[in-house]
Amino acid sequence: MKKRKLNFVTASVYALILLAAGSWLSIFTVENANLSTLFSQSNLMYASKFFNGLFGIGEENPAFFNAESWGNAWALTMETLVMSIMATGFATICALLTVVPAARNVADGSLTLVKKWHGRISFGFIRGGYIFSRAVPELVWAMIIIFIFKPGILPGAIALALHNFGILGKLCAEVIEDLDSRPIRNLASSGAGRVQILLYGVLPAALPRFLTYILYRWEVIMRTTIVVGFVGAGGLGQQFKLSMSFFHYTDITLLLFFYLILVFAADFISEKARYFIK
Amino acid sequence: MERNWMSFELHKRKILSLILGLAFAASLFSVEWNSELIHNGGLTTAKQIGLAFFTPDLSGEILILALESSWTTLSYAAAGMSLALIIAFFFGVAASGVMVSGEKNKRLIKPFFRSQLGFMRAIHELVWAWLFVASIGLSPFAAIFALAIPYGGILGRIFADMLEDVPQEPIRALEAAGASKLQALWYGYLPMVRASITSYAMYRFECAVRSSAIMSFVGIGGLGYQIQLSLDDLHYDEVWTFVFFLIILVILIDAWSNQLRKRLIQ
Repeated sequence: MKKRKLNFVTASVYALILLAAGSWLSIFTVENANLSTLFSQSNLMYASKFFNGLFGIGEENPAFFNAESWGNAWALTMETLVMSIMATGFATICALLTVVPAARNVADGSLTLVKKWHGRISFGFIRGGYIFSRAVPELVWAMIIIFIFKPGILPGAIALALHNFGILGKLCAEVIEDLDSRPIRNLASSGAGRVQILLYGVLPAALPRFLTYILYRWEVIMRTTIVVGFVGAGGLGQQFKLSMSFFHYTDITLLLFFYLILVFAADFISEKARYFIK
Repeated sequence: MERNWMSFELHKRKILSLILGLAFAASLFSVEWNSELIHNGGLTTAKQIGLAFFTPDLSGEILILALESSWTTLSYAAAGMSLALIIAFFFGVAASGVMVSGEKNKRLIKPFFRSQLGFMRAIHELVWAWLFVASIGLSPFAAIFALAIPYGGILGRIFADMLEDVPQEPIRALEAAGASKLQALWYGYLPMVRASITSYAMYRFECAVRSSAIMSFVGIGGLGYQIQLSLDDLHYDEVWTFVFFLIILVILIDAWSNQLRKRLIQ
């Protein structure tokens, strides 16, 4: 057994090295990428022009000296914040609604001592849904959603929620699988119904871990809000794209500044909140 | 007094849930809930997209294209991750402060490198990609660098945390036997964090594949690029084919990394 374990690990390491080497090879040969052309004279000029633009060198009215742009960016920041909270909320609600049948120990009846004929089916179905929804990146969801909804923060929130629903669902289902089953079996054997088991058995024990995961996903969602904005789902990202297309580079500096503040604030708040419930 | 405090401790999580719930409820008010939210004919489009899910385009041409772009996506991810690992190694070792001696030096060096790592990972990879495309033009390197920087930041931070949490006794034993800082790193720290850093890197690799797929958005090839092209042509059946390829790719790597993790962590 030990020998096989080592073999799989070593084989994986070799395969990974081979994969990395093959990737670099194909990038250099098939796609004709060349490092030397990367640092050519014209590229250097574009890069310096771009970075000068970002810092507003040679610009008559850079956005970061303009009160109106600051107000604008602030409004967009608030919009982005609202979008991230909404997305986290949608994802949490959907995940909580489906999480109980998605836990393996509920499906095979070892947790509640009740085995239902549809346990396996609903387990497979919901877990499949989780995998599907988290395998598709937020941006692709947003591209599809934007065909249905008008641009605004709602499609962005829905796209973010769709991707994070799968992740949260999987994480929370694993929490339930790791629960101490004795108190819950006790409840079940003294005649508690499904809802009662959820409220008095599962939730009190799993809530802190659920909250930790929700806060952690909120951090990640905050980082991704800018990305779904690129396809027109509102917030800082949408303005970022517009400014990029209009070559308003100083605007971009300002937006990136606000975006960074938002990301660091989210990290800080979620860390403090996690510490608070510990 | 003691008992009151205890019950407050127990209610903390309820208070936090309540705050989060209220924040969510408040956020709902920022949207005007009416039929204006949906495009004219948006529901018909939704129906078409939904129906196309069951009839993905499986013609040979599309399948070959999907395979090719899957490889592009995978190769960018692998190349980006290999760079990210290099960044993570050097910055992680520097940020953990295991190579410097003296408390004062440590206090100076650690926050410096930690904040650099924080900056790298604070900006999303797609924003990096956009900045790179704007400065060095459309080249695979834009995608690779854009992946390598934030992933290097995340991995480096985790690597630094792991190095700091290493039990000190074996290190002291090595140092007492006359090992230099470099030897202590090589024979003490690295073997102890090897399993956990490998399993975390595998998990990030799965994320890198997803990220590399969306690099397309700034015009770099791969699965996401094909998804976008098909969406623009309103060929929803092709969209789903490419999406299924992406899902298969992610699931394969997920399964691989699960197997590897299971064997490493035991």
